[in-house]
Amino acid sequence: MTAAPAAAPEALEIRVEGVSKVFGAVQALEGVSLTIEAGEFVTFIGPSGCGKTTLLKMIAGLIRPDAGRILIGGRPVEGPGHDRSLVFQDHALMPWTSILRNVAFGLELRGVPKAERQAAARRYIAKVKLTGFEQHYPHQLSGGMQQRAGLARALAVNPRILLMDEPFASVDEQTRRLFQDDLLAVWGEERRTVVFVTHSMEEAVYLSDRVFLISPRPGRLVEVLEVPLPRPRADHGVRGDPGFTRLVERVWDTLKKLQ
Amino acid sequence: MSETIGVPGRRGRSKGRLVQGVEPAAVALRLGSVAALLAAWEWAGRSKASFAIPTFTQTALAGVDLLGSRPFWEALGTSGQSLAMGMAGAVAVGIPLGLLMGTLPTLGRYLRVYFELMIAIPTAAVIPLVILTMGITVRSSALIVFLFSAPFITMNAYAGVRDVNPRLAEMARAFAATPRQFFVKIVVPSSLPMLLVGLRYGLSRAFVGLVVAELLLSPFGVGKLIMNASSMFQYDRLFAAVGLTIMAALALLAALQRLEGRLLHWRRP
Repeated sequence: MTAAPAAAPEALEIRVEGVSKVFGAVQALEGVSLTIEAGEFVTFIGPSGCGKTTLLKMIAGLIRPDAGRILIGGRPVEGPGHDRSLVFQDHALMPWTSILRNVAFGLELRGVPKAERQAAARRYIAKVKLTGFEQHYPHQLSGGMQQRAGLARALAVNPRILLMDEPFASVDEQTRRLFQDDLLAVWGEERRTVVFVTHSMEEAVYLSDRVFLISPRPGRLVEVLEVPLPRPRADHGVRGDPGFTRLVERVWDTLKKLQ
Repeated sequence: MSETIGVPGRRGRSKGRLVQGVEPAAVALRLGSVAALLAAWEWAGRSKASFAIPTFTQTALAGVDLLGSRPFWEALGTSGQSLAMGMAGAVAVGIPLGLLMGTLPTLGRYLRVYFELMIAIPTAAVIPLVILTMGITVRSSALIVFLFSAPFITMNAYAGVRDVNPRLAEMARAFAATPRQFFVKIVVPSSLPMLLVGLRYGLSRAFVGLVVAELLLSPFGVGKLIMNASSMFQYDRLFAAVGLTIMAALALLAALQRLEGRLLHWRRP
């Protein structure tokens, strides 16, 4: 069984080649091709129903494309795998058990011995700043803290790729900004490939190396925007940078034509 | 971190209260209504409206008398035996079957009709059939208990599985859980609340089945005790036997409810 080593594993490249998906009468995705480099932080952004979450779940191996294929580190995706983990929009924590067991759950499923998986869980609970809440139940935590626990659970399995499905969609702006900086700090320490789905333009620009803009029905990749802002972004006061504002406006210029 | 933390205090754990989570005023109101009911009963018995209505005090005395008598404990033992056998069977069959029906949707759709039918029909109608085929034994009253309770237990376990949050199912799949792990670690705990409600329904139905069966079978258990008292015009004894049976049922149901509270303490208050 794979135990979580202290050091982060090598990140992996993701290649999406000509992927299409139809749900009933809706063309969710049409001929999407893109490459995400190993260790890169990218976001998918687009109006509701543009298929960005569908694309993320295809990379996760939860949805199969009708056409095209997805390669991870050169190997085609056949289903969910130990190299990837997902952070869910609604946290998806088990309400009947403690934060500690929730965070350790991915490792529990992999048969990692209890002491070992709890040690890993505690390490990531500390990284997402939830120390002291190990024995709490999910309902005893605020929405933002539940999301932090969801992130810790995804990180605890030491994935090479972290997939995040609008994790900050239902938390307030203040919580969201703190969480964004903590997420970037964790990513800075352990460079995994991160794919982040959002509908917030500021969030997309603030977090990413590159922003992928996707159109709705049919879901197509319409633009890829490089974000050449310095990192760590919190230390450089990027939010106040005129370059940041300009990039957010560029995203908006493209998105408003898609409405 | 400036996030607000909603940490509720341990709820409903205060030992001083008579009933968990109930305000003293509500307790007083309940006790008051019970006292009023008993007073009305006493008055009805004394008014000689019917010779078949003993007063509350006569009934209570007969109850104390019953509690000290061998036949009562023997009857309770016999009834308890059929109840235990019938319920054990209903749990042993109903829970796995219900969980299986939820896990295999085709099987569930096919079988659910029969259980819905068993819930809808007056189950008491099958009692003569059971007696005819199995005779008057403890086992036949156990079977009747089973027939009364099993459909509820099964259908609730089935509903419990269908209650599994699809987001948790997706989470387990994303973490590459095996079907077995998914069942043990997600399906079973998710369906536990419904399952326990099913047990409680099943138990109260089991009591109905037990008493109806014994009244018809007569030479058994508390049913026999009630019938004997009735045929000998000992109405105080009759009322006391009925009352003690009800109290036994309530005690078991309350115990089950406590267990429920214990197991489901993680639920939002």
